[in-house]
Amino acid sequence: MKSSRNPERVLAGVAARGLKLDLGTVDLCFLVALYVRGETANLTSFTESQLEDVFAQASDAVQPEADQLRRRATHAIQRLRDQRLLARVDGQGVVRTGEFALSRLATGIVEFFLEEDVLTRESLTLLTTSLATALAGVLESARTASDDTRGTDDAWRDRVVGPLQITIGELVAGIERRQRGLDLQQEDFQAEIRRLLEADWFGAIDRCQDLLASTSATLHELNQVLLRDTSVLLGLLQEIEALAISAGAAEAEVTSHRVMDQVDRIATWGAARQRAWSDYFQYVHRYLRDVVRLDPTRALTQRLRDQLAGNGARFALTCAGATPMRILRTVAPLRERPPVVRPRAPREREPATEAGEDPQAVLEGKVQRALDGGATALSTVTTEVTAELAGPDRQGDRFVEAGRVAHTVAQLARATGELERPWVAVGDDLVIEDWTLGASKP
Amino acid sequence: MTRAEFPELGDVIQDAEFPDLDLALRRGRHVDRDDVAWYALLTDGQDHLEAFYRRYGCELVHKPDGYYYLLPTGDKLSRRQLAPGDMLVGQTLALLYLDPSAIERGGRVASEDVVAQLVAVLGSDALIAAFHPKRKRHDERVAQKAVRARVGEAVRRLAGLGFVDLADGDQLRLRAALLRFAEPVRGLSAPAEALAKLVAQGEVALAPDDDAPGDHDDEFDEAEPGHESPIDDSGDNAGDDPGDEPSA
Repeated sequence: MKSSRNPERVLAGVAARGLKLDLGTVDLCFLVALYVRGETANLTSFTESQLEDVFAQASDAVQPEADQLRRRATHAIQRLRDQRLLARVDGQGVVRTGEFALSRLATGIVEFFLEEDVLTRESLTLLTTSLATALAGVLESARTASDDTRGTDDAWRDRVVGPLQITIGELVAGIERRQRGLDLQQEDFQAEIRRLLEADWFGAIDRCQDLLASTSATLHELNQVLLRDTSVLLGLLQEIEALAISAGAAEAEVTSHRVMDQVDRIATWGAARQRAWSDYFQYVHRYLRDVVRLDPTRALTQRLRDQLAGNGARFALTCAGATPMRILRTVAPLRERPPVVRPRAPREREPATEAGEDPQAVLEGKVQRALDGGATALSTVTTEVTAELAGPDRQGDRFVEAGRVAHTVAQLARATGELERPWVAVGDDLVIEDWTLGASKP
Repeated sequence: MTRAEFPELGDVIQDAEFPDLDLALRRGRHVDRDDVAWYALLTDGQDHLEAFYRRYGCELVHKPDGYYYLLPTGDKLSRRQLAPGDMLVGQTLALLYLDPSAIERGGRVASEDVVAQLVAVLGSDALIAAFHPKRKRHDERVAQKAVRARVGEAVRRLAGLGFVDLADGDQLRLRAALLRFAEPVRGLSAPAEALAKLVAQGEVALAPDDDAPGDHDDEFDEAEPGHESPIDDSGDNAGDDPGDEPSA
């Protein structure tokens, strides 16, 4: 059954509230005595004097020679009240002496310690039969609710969800509680077998075998009952779930699914215990046969102990020792790597003298060619010479080159200009003051 | 002992379980009833397999305690002797197997129980000395830690040979083959006489008097504080892959 609680939040809440329980044997006996007194005398609450009487009874069992009974009873009642195990239920305050009842927490603790129910074939058959009958009733109600077109939500909640949660839940919890009881009983059996062997080595064989046989028979019977009955129970629950789905009753669907999970868990428990017990059963039988029967005086243990302690010659067991088969890995061909060599010729070249190109002479050549070509204005010469430097990324170079062209033109030709020289665009990105050019200088 | 479906040796060899079983036996594995499929194959094909392994110079031994193993008697299949440390731990596990307290838990014991039993029988000092034969002075804490490590390694090697099962956590499951460690003291005859008989059969080999568990653990003497000793191979292949577990 899945819980929607957030574990971190729940733990933080418990930690913040500082919850704790501190119960000694006297306190537990006191609680148990109250529970039993309430059951036998049909009491729902206890007066203060009744509490003191019951405490005296509990104290007698644990500390028969202790004195100051009233004072200790007062402290014990206070301890239980502080821990919310005992609650005052009369609501009269100081007006009169109070009446007290065991809280749900106290009842739970007592029931845990008093729990002695163990699953038997009879109790399991009774419980599964009751469960099947109750489920058949719920199924009938589900069919009625499914046919009824009016007020279906209430009908499903009252006749299906409620019984599934309470009646069926209690019956299933009853089986699970008895399963836990049987688990504890098996642990006791295992401890008992050990005690029997320790107490009477060879003489305990028959008693051990009886214990094993009885437990095995019980488990076998339980498993058979579980296998047979759980399929019937699951069948009924599946029908209820199918009806709930078709009627759109989500709550009933979820509840029947939860109960199915619980029934599955019960069946799984049976199979798991059967397997575990089967292993244990075989182990103990082998032990009884191979160890106990072959060593009735239990001398082997002592002789082995002496041997281990170093009395006698040391020896070593011989075993076969074949080495594991070698599985060869796939061989990949080696890649040929050229040998490392040093070039014989020197890496560095000797420096040689090479005639350089004078950029100014080149520029002068270009300007002269433009002048010879008939250019009569600086703008024309500049356009012609800087044509190679066109483009947005070379704008700066062109600007510098235009200055050099003007300087060179002034050296090679006669330039005249008016007082107000006109600005003339040279290409898209350059504007210069224009000169009129005359003949070339000699 | 040969069932109807195994009229010939070839039928045993054709069984799907045979290759794994054969490899495990040759590597020294002891096969008991818990190895359900292997044990059934050995039991059903015992006659054929005894003759088969005899041709390899081996005896397929079947003990009344309910386990099989292969014992090399010739030179065709290599053999090995358990290391002294493994023998010490093996005898301790056998002692635990005989103890009724193990029966309460269905033959399960904790690794700590093995060390506790060794201490109970040998005493702490003798146990440390058994694993520290050459060292005159040692740090007690380091020595104890190293002994625990040695015992753990021995248990793992013995598990590989089928003497114990390593279960969840720190738990071991004791197996019937452990009774092999008690063979020299099982009979009514004197232990020395029984031991001589076992030596003659090739079941055991006598260890030299000065062959102590730690003699095979040279690294152990050099172990520095806080340093885990390396795995003890003890000059044999006991720790090698002993074969796959059988399919039950």
